[in-house]
Amino acid sequence: MNWPQAELTDVERFRALAAGVPGAAVTERVLPQEPDRVQAMLADLDVFATIQADLVSATLEERDGDRVVVRAKGARGQRARLVGQLRPGWCWLQSRFLIIGMAVAAEPGGGTRVALTGGIRVPGRAAIIPIRVRQESSKTLDRLQKLLRDRGE
Amino acid sequence: MIEEHLVRAAQRGDTVAMNGVLDALTPYVGKICGPIALNDGPDAAQEALIAIFRGLHGLQEPAALFGWARAIAVREAVRVARRGQRQRPAELTDLPAADDPQLAIDVQDVLRRLSPEHRAVLVLRDLEGMDEQAAAAVLDVPSGTAKSRLHRARASFRKAWSS
Repeated sequence: MNWPQAELTDVERFRALAAGVPGAAVTERVLPQEPDRVQAMLADLDVFATIQADLVSATLEERDGDRVVVRAKGARGQRARLVGQLRPGWCWLQSRFLIIGMAVAAEPGGGTRVALTGGIRVPGRAAIIPIRVRQESSKTLDRLQKLLRDRGE
Repeated sequence: MIEEHLVRAAQRGDTVAMNGVLDALTPYVGKICGPIALNDGPDAAQEALIAIFRGLHGLQEPAALFGWARAIAVREAVRVARRGQRQRPAELTDLPAADDPQLAIDVQDVLRRLSPEHRAVLVLRDLEGMDEQAAAAVLDVPSGTAKSRLHRARASFRKAWSS
């Protein structure tokens, strides 16, 4: 029996997960580059630190499959130990005080849809303080777009 | 399936545990929504997962996660399919059994001729293996209604192949 199965993209899954986190407004943008290229760039932790507001570095401390621990350093010297899942096209990381999420999917008709959320976590809870979440995600997307252009053909 | 402690951690606000629950539930929700919502399956599955994650903290018994998610997935799949429905259900007549070899052929074309409600009862009985009473409870209809929907749904399979 071959019952049809509904397949979700990572962006569709991302919207669902973010829906369970009050304050985690999702910002999406379609970029002209191919998904492989966008995914490869987002999987690079140096890029990750460059595009995320307030981060100056991010270092992989542990990896077990797609489960990771990342040490992040902020512009004002603050440090965060981010744990979560990092694989091509998907990133969901949390520390006690931060949540960062990104997802990528091929856009029908060409290009790549990128979805972001993240911000200051209500300590220990599944909630983001709803201040400037969209603005920061939008700036992160601007920086990603610029990097893709700068490193482009 | 999924470990109970992961569900409890997700309910307590651990978003990485929520990500684990998402990984575990996505294929299951896709399996339920696909045959009911057909082309609208991804929309239905996304809507179902959104409802699941919004309501996860209120789930009383973590061991019941999949049964709870199934009820939400069926409800959302029927709702989304009705919203997007373009075709009318077929005329309906007699009844093959669940293991009838006719059902082992590509079912998509025949599913398309059924209403979302008929597809939902077929999924619960023949894909999920639920009895009529349990299927009726998920669909929130009297068991007689579930029984007659199933009868009509299976009948339409027979009609589709004999026409």
